[in-house]
Amino acid sequence: MSREQVVHQSPLLYRVLREEDGALVIEVVVGGIAMSAVRVRLTEAEAEAFTREGSAFSDRLAKDIMAWPPFGGRSYDAPTG
Amino acid sequence: MSWMIRGLLVSALLLVGCKHAAPSVTPEPTTPVAETCDAKQQEISKEADQRAAPWSIEQHLAKNFPEGSVSWLMKEGPYQTFVVQSGAKNFGRCDDSGCYLFAAPSSVIQEAVKKSMTGATHDPAVLGQALGLPAKNFEGPLRMMTLNLRESGSCVRLPVDADPGVWKCQTEQDTDCFKFGGYTSGGVPEVMVINAPVAQAVVTEIP
Repeated sequence: MSREQVVHQSPLLYRVLREEDGALVIEVVVGGIAMSAVRVRLTEAEAEAFTREGSAFSDRLAKDIMAWPPFGGRSYDAPTG
Repeated sequence: MSWMIRGLLVSALLLVGCKHAAPSVTPEPTTPVAETCDAKQQEISKEADQRAAPWSIEQHLAKNFPEGSVSWLMKEGPYQTFVVQSGAKNFGRCDDSGCYLFAAPSSVIQEAVKKSMTGATHDPAVLGQALGLPAKNFEGPLRMMTLNLRESGSCVRLPVDADPGVWKCQTEQDTDCFKFGGYTSGGVPEVMVINAPVAQAVVTEIP
């Protein structure tokens, strides 16, 4: 399993991770009476926005993913381990 | 060994069920649960009731939550990350105004889980079918949380489109998304619980 570092964790039930290759990934809890988690790898523009705006940007991104978990086909299941 | 694990799980489910089914010696509180909400939530609840009229949160609770307790499910991974490791005080998605959690009647969730048990583990397809949600939502180990609303004093109201975590429908054909009115797209009654205390919930492992 690859090593990853938690960059930011929010009580809104999401966290931003930096993967071993340096890429940023956001993990978001989705669902209502049955909750699971999905991940989305940030694009270069999104990563720049996160560096610039911090949690203001990641809050917006997390809310967008909660509102539409497939996220245009960009999301994938968070690892179980 | 697997039968022993299954037996323990079924016993735990029955214990939870029995706890809520047992005759209560405590008089029922006269204050409706919805009235435990702060001013902001009362306003949201009032607007939701007006939109749902002639339905209301009080009718919804009386009809669908007569036992006064709610349950919900969470995959083991997010439960460990966002509840245990973070030391969360309340379940749900939190902002400055509170922590927001979707929950269903305990009897509905517990019955669905019981029906889905095959040997030592649950069958995600059976659980998904029982709750009207994709089987994918239930793959792998789960946690089932149960909370007595009257004992916790949590605010409860009809969920609304602006609530954190609402999956907004993109098309008319979408079924796995939020529909206003107090029922999931799969027809399971649901409420929005604000500030559900972690310490007061009964947490059951669903292997």
